[in-house]
Amino acid sequence: MTGPLYIEGAFSQQTGYLIAIGIGFLFGFVLERAGFGDARNLTNIFYFRDMRVLKVMFSALCTAMVGLLVLSWLGLFNYATLVDVTLLKTYLWPQLVGGILFGLGFAIGGYCPGTAAVGVVSGKLDAIVFIVGMIAGIWIFAAGFPVWGSFYMSSDLGRLTLWQVFSIPKEVMAALILAMALGAFWLTKYGERWAPYDK
Amino acid sequence: MQELDYAKGFWNPYAAGVALGLVLLLTFYLMGTGLGASGAVARTAAVVAHSVAPESVEQHPYYKSFFKPGGKHPFYNWVVFEVIGVFIGGLVAALTARRFRPGVGRGPTAGVGLRLSLAFFGGIVGGIGTRFALGCTSGQALSGGATMAVGSWVFMMAVFATAFVTAYFVRREWS
Repeated sequence: MTGPLYIEGAFSQQTGYLIAIGIGFLFGFVLERAGFGDARNLTNIFYFRDMRVLKVMFSALCTAMVGLLVLSWLGLFNYATLVDVTLLKTYLWPQLVGGILFGLGFAIGGYCPGTAAVGVVSGKLDAIVFIVGMIAGIWIFAAGFPVWGSFYMSSDLGRLTLWQVFSIPKEVMAALILAMALGAFWLTKYGERWAPYDK
Repeated sequence: MQELDYAKGFWNPYAAGVALGLVLLLTFYLMGTGLGASGAVARTAAVVAHSVAPESVEQHPYYKSFFKPGGKHPFYNWVVFEVIGVFIGGLVAALTARRFRPGVGRGPTAGVGLRLSLAFFGGIVGGIGTRFALGCTSGQALSGGATMAVGSWVFMMAVFATAFVTAYFVRREWS
């Protein structure tokens, strides 16, 4: 059957919620087995001790990116639905500011939201504290909403992809990203050997 | 690279990445959208705020989108169910690997007090970041990245550039 199945009306919202629990189970299981339940494994990348985060993340991103293209060639996935209906919208400036704040939080706090959940069920007290901090952060965001609410939804570029920006076929863009990822994987061993903080 | 005892026993990172990518691919095939996490945290924050001051939260310019009149409870949402699954899946993985161990992840010379206060502070800043970015590492960087969405790539590059710089200033926490 041609995906995305839910958008094509293949099952109800309720069934979608059951699927969500199953998908989440697999997601949490893999994150734990990748070592992402411990903040040290997540922050070591920033000290060039262990580039595990880059390796896991970019191989996951590339697997899904190439997988979607392959499924669409096989007629199993409607890529146009993704681009026109479900793609995440770009809000350029808020997402840049959000990324800077999130990067600060990641390096200082040691987790991101999904990995903090896995940290909690691995017994990590710091993960619980991080999640409480995030909830407090969202209260602060909401309290300041009258101040930055208009910025939050500004520079709306709609559903925009990299290959549309560069006016190249999506397959070429994917090949460039794949080449970049392979280059980064090759560089990780030099990073780990460098380990500038541990000398 | 020195051997780190807490970094032992995990899957090969490339194998784990491919496994994670297949989970993400399955999610796109089934739902059309990717994975997520921070949406569930935002909904939790909204529900807690609502339990304290229901009326003002229902009229609040940010929270009101979670409490539409006649709408479902904010927890009745795909990403909330997915995160429930993450907790269960992570727990099963930690228990079956005999890795469930109460403790605080920190650098060898960092105190528990320092680590926990920075975890709280980092959580606050990161939490604010997820609202501006409309997502986090799973929703934006990973899922948006795999679909080549422009904003997701801007977010991802900003996250890693900032984190590499910030790491220098908190090196005592992790070294």
